[in-house]
Amino acid sequence: MTAVGLGAPRSDAEAKVRGLAMYGVDYREAGMLHARLLRSPVAAGRIIRLEVTEARRSPGVHAVVTAAEAPRHRNGLVLLDTPFFADDMVLYEGEPIAMVVADTSRQAEAAVETIVVEIEELEPVSDVAEALAPGARLLHPDLDSYRVIPGTGPWPKGGNCGGVLTSDPGGVDEAFETADIIVEDVYTVPRQYQAYLEPKSATASYDGWRWTLDVSHQFPYKARSRVAQALGVTDSRIRVVGHHIGGGFGARLDLGLEQFAAIGASLTGRTVQLVNDRVEDLVSCMSRENATIRVRSGVTRQGRIVARDFECLMDSGAYAGDTPYLTSIALLMAGSVYRVGPTRVTAKSVYTNTAPSGAFRGVSGTYLCFALERHTDRLAQAIGMDRREFRMRNLFEPGDSMLNGQTLEDAEILREAFERVEERAPWREAGKGPLRGVGLAAVIWLTNPLAGSATLGIQEDGSLGVSTAATENGSGAVTMGLRQIAAAEFGLGAEQVFVTSPDTDTQSYDAGSQGSRTTHVVGMAIKAAATQLKPRLFNIASGLLGALPDDLELGGGNVRVRDDPSRTVSLSEVARTALGVGGPLSSTGTYSVPLPKWDPDSAQGLLFPVFPVPTYHVHLAEVEVDPDEGSVRVTRYVVVQEVGRMINPDGVYGQIQGGVAQGMGYALWEGLESRDGRYTRRTLESYGLPLAVDIPDVEIIVLEHPCEAGPFGAKGVAEPPIVPVAAAIANAVSDATGADITTLPIDPEELLVALEKRQEG
Amino acid sequence: MTQTLTCEVNGILRTVEVDGDEALLDTLRDRLYLAGTKRGCDEGECGACTVLVDGTPVHSCIFPALAAGGAEVRTVEGLAGPGGKLNSLQQAFVDRAAVQCGFCTPGFLMTLTALLEANPSPSDHQVDEAMAGNICRCTGYSAIRAAVRSLVREDGA
Amino acid sequence: MQFLAPNTVREALGMLSERAGDLRVLAGGTDVMIQRMTGQLPRSESLLYIGGIADLRGVGCSDGLIRIGALTTHLDLGCDPIIATHLPSFAEAAATVGGWQTQAVGTVGGNLCNASPAADLAPPILAADATMVVSGVDGPTRIPADRFFVDRRRTALPPGQILLGVEVPVPPAATWESYLKVGRRSAMEVALVGLGARFSVVGNRVETARLGVCSVAPTPLRLRHAEAALVGSGLEEEAVTAAARRAMVEVDPIGDQRAAASYRRMLVGRLIRKAVRLARQRLEIK
Repeated sequence: MTAVGLGAPRSDAEAKVRGLAMYGVDYREAGMLHARLLRSPVAAGRIIRLEVTEARRSPGVHAVVTAAEAPRHRNGLVLLDTPFFADDMVLYEGEPIAMVVADTSRQAEAAVETIVVEIEELEPVSDVAEALAPGARLLHPDLDSYRVIPGTGPWPKGGNCGGVLTSDPGGVDEAFETADIIVEDVYTVPRQYQAYLEPKSATASYDGWRWTLDVSHQFPYKARSRVAQALGVTDSRIRVVGHHIGGGFGARLDLGLEQFAAIGASLTGRTVQLVNDRVEDLVSCMSRENATIRVRSGVTRQGRIVARDFECLMDSGAYAGDTPYLTSIALLMAGSVYRVGPTRVTAKSVYTNTAPSGAFRGVSGTYLCFALERHTDRLAQAIGMDRREFRMRNLFEPGDSMLNGQTLEDAEILREAFERVEERAPWREAGKGPLRGVGLAAVIWLTNPLAGSATLGIQEDGSLGVSTAATENGSGAVTMGLRQIAAAEFGLGAEQVFVTSPDTDTQSYDAGSQGSRTTHVVGMAIKAAATQLKPRLFNIASGLLGALPDDLELGGGNVRVRDDPSRTVSLSEVARTALGVGGPLSSTGTYSVPLPKWDPDSAQGLLFPVFPVPTYHVHLAEVEVDPDEGSVRVTRYVVVQEVGRMINPDGVYGQIQGGVAQGMGYALWEGLESRDGRYTRRTLESYGLPLAVDIPDVEIIVLEHPCEAGPFGAKGVAEPPIVPVAAAIANAVSDATGADITTLPIDPEELLVALEKRQEG
Repeated sequence: MTQTLTCEVNGILRTVEVDGDEALLDTLRDRLYLAGTKRGCDEGECGACTVLVDGTPVHSCIFPALAAGGAEVRTVEGLAGPGGKLNSLQQAFVDRAAVQCGFCTPGFLMTLTALLEANPSPSDHQVDEAMAGNICRCTGYSAIRAAVRSLVREDGA
Repeated sequence: MQFLAPNTVREALGMLSERAGDLRVLAGGTDVMIQRMTGQLPRSESLLYIGGIADLRGVGCSDGLIRIGALTTHLDLGCDPIIATHLPSFAEAAATVGGWQTQAVGTVGGNLCNASPAADLAPPILAADATMVVSGVDGPTRIPADRFFVDRRRTALPPGQILLGVEVPVPPAATWESYLKVGRRSAMEVALVGLGARFSVVGNRVETARLGVCSVAPTPLRLRHAEAALVGSGLEEEAVTAAARRAMVEVDPIGDQRAAASYRRMLVGRLIRKAVRLARQRLEIK
């Protein structure tokens, strides 16, 4: 099992450093056509005229597609509320209205410019407050009639809400009466753009019956079902072939441009490629939703949190996307990490005339943690208690339950994590000095449980092939983790294992690179496949070696007799022999994570009910604030993360450093604000992604508590490092300046004002 | 109307017809089929399109192709040495896990190649400053810094 | 459209005089190429690429004047010994323009002629009492720097002419100058505010004070009232407070996606204080 725990290089690294890795945008076919979308220039309105005659006659144009040529039914990730092209109404700036397919992209672009579109503009419902105000214009007057995806029960929705989660366990008001002090805070956060460096694209071809899509997508099976749903055909008429992914971070889990390329291909009979330019990518991307969080807690002078009231309004944009799921995260986080007493939770997915929001690493957890941990600091300060001491008094113990009724038997890991942070960066010494501060934040996070599969094949040369629809989004989960797990199962070095890229025609279902699931879930599928395959392998080797199967073991690319290592047969010979004795050495394993118990009555609208295979995280940030500019420098950042078991240290450290960098961006620079339904920052330049000069090397401490039902003990790793970062930094900055930070990104002007006030006081 | 561009690309003299205002990135990707150079933003922000023109890193997405007339252009495809062996910087990226999604990698390799050619022993801060015009969304930069650092040490030994 | 690449100034001016209305002068291209792609400039315009005119690149010093060729790149400025000795704020400003890739091809002339309200080289050039040397077919003329920036993205450069370079008198001995820039991140930033400050002292008194700023008005500008508050002072607290107050009135910043107007105004005052703090240390004013 030597391959596990080592920093084996990723198998795609060489292609990537040579510039030979083909990404979705690099895919080419001879005679391929190019498409451009006409997107709505306004946030809200009624289309009163759409004239495409001139575009159809423009040079090089093969097709112009509008709602009239497209399926008329609505599609969606969970709630079917989204039209193919905007037809009567446009609901957000950037919404596709028409598409031109031409010989070259310049021709397509020129033809798009000849399209006449007249829109009777409406005052946009530009934010959540407007959307929920009495008498607000409804974005979806027919909401009640919309269908939901199969297997999802009805959930509360209505008005401008695509989903509402409520939980009121009773006794909350009475518990508040036992509090000495009640603190109420409101936090608001903007959207965060995933800003993967490869813009979205899709290439499609059509053979008269089936479509083939060449894409860089995190979840090819979802792309398949969503394209099928949008076109109104059955799933198996779509084939999705995955190429290298130039970053996803959640943004490539739902439909991007695939449905448009597909309809272009079937209307022209040609291969059609559609690529976003960066501005349209940013403007139309399903970014992390903006949100408003109100949290009110009662606390005793002895430092106990006794009651809580929690409300979160999530801006889903014009179409619901995944937001009805995300409301559940509010319930899962509002009363975890710390004991908070009886808690009432309301979370709403709210429609506005803005681009649909969607999944970004850590989803709502990033801002929920920000709000909860800022609030925790404020509670401690309200009773004059040290912020760390206050946390330790209220910290979860083994056997404590989250608000969904899920019990955490291993919650002692949380206390261990706090202690390890303390050893590394003692609280009494951290962040001392003028303009300096220190902050803590902790979170419990999940490993996504959804199904996966893998097919193993011992090759005739003795190497091992792993075929899976799991996607390598860059994390290394496939090209490092899965290869190492498979190698360890067969006593091989990781370099003797190759993995395929995804193709929905040849590999069975996989739920995509999301929620840190790939290593854990597909690793278990590999183990299952290996468990099936090994008896046959040992049987054949047993004949070749003249030894009992039970006396054999794998190692060094051979099968050998355990007590007599001189008697070996190579895997190559076993594989070749197998061809004449029942056929190739191949097997398929499948897995999905058994869900932990929860209380289905804990809330209404709980579409995402549990945190399977929980992991534990504590972060500490030290910052320094520039007194002239109000800018923040993170001078030290410590992460203690529990991972089950490390399969590849390079992979684990890389995910933590990278996730923290994205969290620093969220805390300090990034953010999409809209004014009247239009984003104010519209380019990568103005968006402000973190640079090398801004990001320190993170101090990383990994805790290993192997998970019984995990491959070699591994749990999910990659998603959560982003979650507590804004919280830890905001707490540190508040400590440094006295500013009561309630919004992100942290505003330097607010810090200058706070510092002035502190000087005067 | 197209005009003729003649320049050396990765050591090979190329003559190609280009549009008058064509960006060098388009020439490389769409006319010379050198797709290793990536398009990330079209505004000189992300650095994925970085190539070397006469040894200097430029954002090829906003560099006029015809301004490269007579110049030596180097792209990621030209980095490997004789027999296709990875050069030391490429190898360090592989060994130090400086590659994740890899879309930014060609740009970083070109910028850092220019840096190490100009200054074989840069400090961490010099490395950070040199790559300010290259964005990596995956790694948080630490492993890229470590890859460069590993070469500095080897050279110093 | 056509890409014209003259090798001499005379050739370039000839082409420009023939078809000024249809030609866009292009140096490094870091602004013009983006503006064409985003529709801020028409793509039908032909390009007059002057980047190949070797005469216009480089820094020289004679007769008490420092001459900076228009095609000198930001990177050139950053490693030029004359600039390092006499005009360090120019190098500091050049080092904040974009990243290496932009500094390597972006030019002094391009930064100034593009006339962005946020042009980083403008504040130090205003603070240095520089003169712009421009030329048409009839030969060169000179425009003082503080009359060069006319409006947002508009300069006093007459049609059919190009900027040849910038002339700056060698500053007196006891002079301190610096470019202080605030962005959100530590690099690659369009200035939220950029301040070019220069103080020359005689004895313990400020003889001349120059404050050039960008990103706080439609054009880069000099803060004359704030300067006046410092002249004759020993840079003591009272004078500095007055200068900062005046500066915050003189500027007229907008709030946009990068920063609020109130923050920009606040920064102007803070940067003047910071400049004075640094200057006092270096000039050893008692």
